[in-house]
Amino acid sequence: MTDCDYLRPDNLEETLGLLKEHGPRATLIAGGTDVMVKIKNTKKPPEVLVSIRGLKDLKYIEKRSGYHIGALTTHRMLEQSELVKAELSALHDGASRVGSVQVRNVATLGGNICNAAPSADTAGPLLVLDALVFMEGPEGKRSVPITEFFTGTYKTVLKKDEVLTEIQIPAEMEHFGSAYWKHSRRKAMNLPILGIAVSVKLDGEIIADARIALTVAAPTPVRAYKAEAFLKGKPMGDEALNETGKIAASTECCTLRDSLRGEAWYRREIIEAYVPRMARLAAERIAQRRSK
Amino acid sequence: MEEKMPDHLFVGKSVPRTIEADKVTGKAVYIDDLKRPGMLYGKILYSNHAHARIKSIDISKAKQLEGVRTVLTGQDIPDVRVGFLKDQTVLKKDVVRQYRDEVAAVAAISLEIAEEAISLIKVDYEKLPAVFDPFEAMKQESSLVHEIDARGRPLKSNILPLPWKFETGDMEQARKDSAYTSKDTVSTTWVNQCCMGTSGCIAEFDQNSNLTLYDQTNVIFGHIGRITEYFSQIGLRGKKIRVVNPVVGGSFGTKLDTDIYEFIAIQLALKTKKPVRILFDREEEFKALPPRQPAVFTIEQGCDKEGKLIFRHCEAILDNGAYTSWGATTPSVMMMPMSSLYRVPNVYFKATCVYTNNIYAQAMRGYGNPQATFAVETSMDTLAEEAGIDPAEFRLINRNRPGDQTPMRLKITSCGLEECIKAVKEKLNWDEKQGKQNGRGVGMASLIHVAGGARVTKSDGHGIMIKLDEYGHVDVIESGTDQGQGSPTVISQIVAEALGVRPEDVFLTFGDTALALWDAGTHASRHTFMAGNAAIGACAKAKRQILEMAVEQMPKIIKMGLKRKKRKDPEFVEPDLDFGSIANPEDLDIRDRMIFSKKEPDHPYFNLPLAQILQNGLLVGTGQSKVVMAEEFYDPPTEMLNWEMKGNLSMTYAFGASGVEVEVDEQTGEVKILNLIAAHDVGKAMNPTLLLGQIYGAAYTGVGYGLTEEIKVRNGRVMNPSFRDYQMLTAMDVVPIEVVIIEPIDEAGPYGAKGVGEPGLVPTAPAIANAVYDAVGVRITDLPITPEKILTALKQRK
Amino acid sequence: MKKVSVSFTLNGNTVTAEVPVIWTLLKTLREYFELTGAKEGCGVGECGACTVILDGEAINSCLCPIPEVEGKSVTTIEGLANEDGTLHPLQEAFLKNNGVQCGFCTSGMLMSSKALLDQNPDPTEDDIRTSIAGNFCRCTGYVQIVESIEMAAKESK
Repeated sequence: MTDCDYLRPDNLEETLGLLKEHGPRATLIAGGTDVMVKIKNTKKPPEVLVSIRGLKDLKYIEKRSGYHIGALTTHRMLEQSELVKAELSALHDGASRVGSVQVRNVATLGGNICNAAPSADTAGPLLVLDALVFMEGPEGKRSVPITEFFTGTYKTVLKKDEVLTEIQIPAEMEHFGSAYWKHSRRKAMNLPILGIAVSVKLDGEIIADARIALTVAAPTPVRAYKAEAFLKGKPMGDEALNETGKIAASTECCTLRDSLRGEAWYRREIIEAYVPRMARLAAERIAQRRSK
Repeated sequence: MEEKMPDHLFVGKSVPRTIEADKVTGKAVYIDDLKRPGMLYGKILYSNHAHARIKSIDISKAKQLEGVRTVLTGQDIPDVRVGFLKDQTVLKKDVVRQYRDEVAAVAAISLEIAEEAISLIKVDYEKLPAVFDPFEAMKQESSLVHEIDARGRPLKSNILPLPWKFETGDMEQARKDSAYTSKDTVSTTWVNQCCMGTSGCIAEFDQNSNLTLYDQTNVIFGHIGRITEYFSQIGLRGKKIRVVNPVVGGSFGTKLDTDIYEFIAIQLALKTKKPVRILFDREEEFKALPPRQPAVFTIEQGCDKEGKLIFRHCEAILDNGAYTSWGATTPSVMMMPMSSLYRVPNVYFKATCVYTNNIYAQAMRGYGNPQATFAVETSMDTLAEEAGIDPAEFRLINRNRPGDQTPMRLKITSCGLEECIKAVKEKLNWDEKQGKQNGRGVGMASLIHVAGGARVTKSDGHGIMIKLDEYGHVDVIESGTDQGQGSPTVISQIVAEALGVRPEDVFLTFGDTALALWDAGTHASRHTFMAGNAAIGACAKAKRQILEMAVEQMPKIIKMGLKRKKRKDPEFVEPDLDFGSIANPEDLDIRDRMIFSKKEPDHPYFNLPLAQILQNGLLVGTGQSKVVMAEEFYDPPTEMLNWEMKGNLSMTYAFGASGVEVEVDEQTGEVKILNLIAAHDVGKAMNPTLLLGQIYGAAYTGVGYGLTEEIKVRNGRVMNPSFRDYQMLTAMDVVPIEVVIIEPIDEAGPYGAKGVGEPGLVPTAPAIANAVYDAVGVRITDLPITPEKILTALKQRK
Repeated sequence: MKKVSVSFTLNGNTVTAEVPVIWTLLKTLREYFELTGAKEGCGVGECGACTVILDGEAINSCLCPIPEVEGKSVTTIEGLANEDGTLHPLQEAFLKNNGVQCGFCTSGMLMSSKALLDQNPDPTEDDIRTSIAGNFCRCTGYVQIVESIEMAAKESK
């Protein structure tokens, strides 16, 4: 049985120091719902676990010229936030459907995207909300748009000596409505067969702007740019929405595969069916917000 | 249809499960929680090939690991064959025939060390050709899964030599006489029982090599039988075996055979001379636990112009996997719906079990009935459509009726099938909703199941012993297993009612072969029926003893009491009492802890506490001290199936019908259940709240069976061995369910009750399949009914 | 094997556990404190049988590294009943309304629902089902569990 060091730094500075000190021997752990499962399955704990669970300063949801979410914000916090539900609806949808309440109570938004599963439930929403990912390392702070964050299956641009600190969503997204559909066999405790996130901005009945993101449709969570380009400027209606769905499902936007959880042809059907449904839901939410 | 029942105090009431309060305080001790002094932890090494020759096994590193007490391979233990057809050894020595074959075992001082030792064992395999499709395996040219049988004779085929064939009537003529016929092929796959408590046991030998097995088994005496046989072949002939149940974390059919891991635990305990616990982790539970038996049915039925069934012809192919457990016997239960669900005079049913290199199966709630009923009830709907008759009406036309004797010679006594089907129709608003094919639809299916025992072994007996202490507490020594179904509460209700005490006066011991008389097993939904009847018999005997004591003592006690009263109050006039009216035990009865005169229940003096009589009977001073105890071994007058597979194997049968309303999303194939009506003929509800729990749980499992659950096996390997990927339903998967209880009061059952543990599950999946067809016009004949299958079918139709 | 000393509040009492660093809260509860109410149903946070309450929130104790519990408050099933031994309304309700069958999932169910009622004393059916979505049960079909929780919520008011 290999031994393990479990370190609990009090602040970010200390964390970065420990990561530097221990180098490749160290693994970051936040909520633990991914890392602990990996340890159990491989039966080998990393030599050093650096826990950032105690970094309370990184737990916040704020709106001040844009939305600021600390990386250690739990999914449960997102689920229970009226602000997120009303104004970042897709993120609310995604965060609320992760695992179970027990998992959401400890699993963090930062952890979810750093794990970078192609099925991550917050990834699609963040993609359609134009999120910006902030990181800090020995060289200082930096940020990348979420569209550049994922580099491969379970791979991100985050370096081994860096810590993800905050996710920002631009203030303009306040004018968008958004929605996320997690397609799974049952209503809880599942990884998605497919995830579809959509955000739209309306100008009367015309879709002024749109974002569409797909998960479990490519090696990383992806934006369906061609489908978005088609949808922009079109009226909200069956014809445009259905065609958008078809484009999103095509090889122009994603590379669907057969896997244990689902087959490619079925995933295509779901994208075609649900892109229009989520676009409509996203639009409805703008109307709901306005009427309040 | 309800007769006027005498006023029961406890039977028929929803008495709470107070007896099981340990379960809500964390005190209940499951096998996971049980520790024996010096206990070691056992782990099993499984093969990672579906079919291979073992060239060598290197256990040297594992043996050297500190904390390891023994490492065993097939070379270290006697080559004894076990299992229903004796087709496997405990540890596989030369050949592995399926992915989960047990190749080696370790016992160590901690679980972590045992797991590490397992990882240090190196096995060198030479792959052999494997077969994963039973249809392929049946062919002449297929590779053989087994080369020899239990007696060493060479095998030429993968088809098992089992006698599953049932024939009655004249099939040729029947086909000629039929105005309408239909033919369908349906299939069901492997599903996991998903007990929340995983499999496990502790084996412990005493100094004289007698074994105590702490085990969750439902067949405590069946275990003794099989282990005794094993012992006789490993040099332990004559040694005693005691099987003791801890609190059981669910059974659902998983605990009816003696499994390989149990034999392994016994060997590890024998070698180390220490108690050894083997406990499956969840992945093992999905990979290494035999699941429900899959089957492919080709079924044809025919009826006359009026819709009366004339024949039913069915052939089934069962993928038996590499070895045999109870999965291979499910056809004996399939015979029941095949021959006896609805009235059908000409029946042919043949089941062929075929060895493959897939995983093998055991029992699961329903034991073949859910599979067979899926076939029958699919065919009922397709035939109804051919004949142009409404599916509910078609079922009513052919329903079983009280007094029927079926082609299998089952004697139908009470039968509430008509009421059940009608209840489903009414609650679903059937006439309005059926036949619209507008995205919403309704479907139904019925069931028949054994409900008064099941004579599958030569004795279908069940023994109970009861004794009373001098305070009026009743100890009940039960010979069945409490697997969570509520038996402690229900039996305490029956004992309280029969004896005249209260449920809280009753203390029960389950599942200990050293104490219990004998029981065929807690299976086949028989526990309440058997234990209830045995309890009533034992209580009658005990009551007789008590009342004999009472007639002796009561006059003395009452007279002394009167004298005492006189001494205290000289004005008191002693009444002139006629003790003649309580001179015989038949003149008295017991109710709510009081012994009273039947002729004058409100008599001011002929009313004494039970405890007083018991105390006086025990603490006599001089003369004969008495204890009250009685036993009853109830073996009902039923028959075993003869060589024609015919025989009335149960005292009574349960009937029921499930109806479902669904909405199908034609874009995605997703099915939403809008309403599930489960109508069940239960004879009499012993405890309505507990009864509902049985039906809710079974129906829910049936929904999973119908829509979401499947063990994905690819080339012999279980691909989804986790709750994450095995689609058992969660609390968020709401199924609006309404239960209708029909109580025709069966005379054979304790207070009229019939068994209900399995029926709740049986008709659910076919009801859903029928409803989907009614909703969107496509019939899915392969369980589970996934959105992918529906969508594919919808597209094909276009 | 490297050990760690963790002090925390367990069912109202201050305790210290000296256990290997990589032990989970579940293993610590079951083997160090011999509180076997929380069960290992899967070991990977997928079944809820190990649910306990940590600082007011329901968590899977099988995924909680023991060092994380330092200074915090843990409530297990063994701490649910009142000091005088009388049962919590949830425990009463589960017994009265058949929310318990085999009982293996029960500890987890009770802790998930306690965490819910502590935060939301008047939950809707949807709230209840969400709170126990991470607790699998094969025996009950969840119906009587939901009813038991509703019953307990009413009782507690």
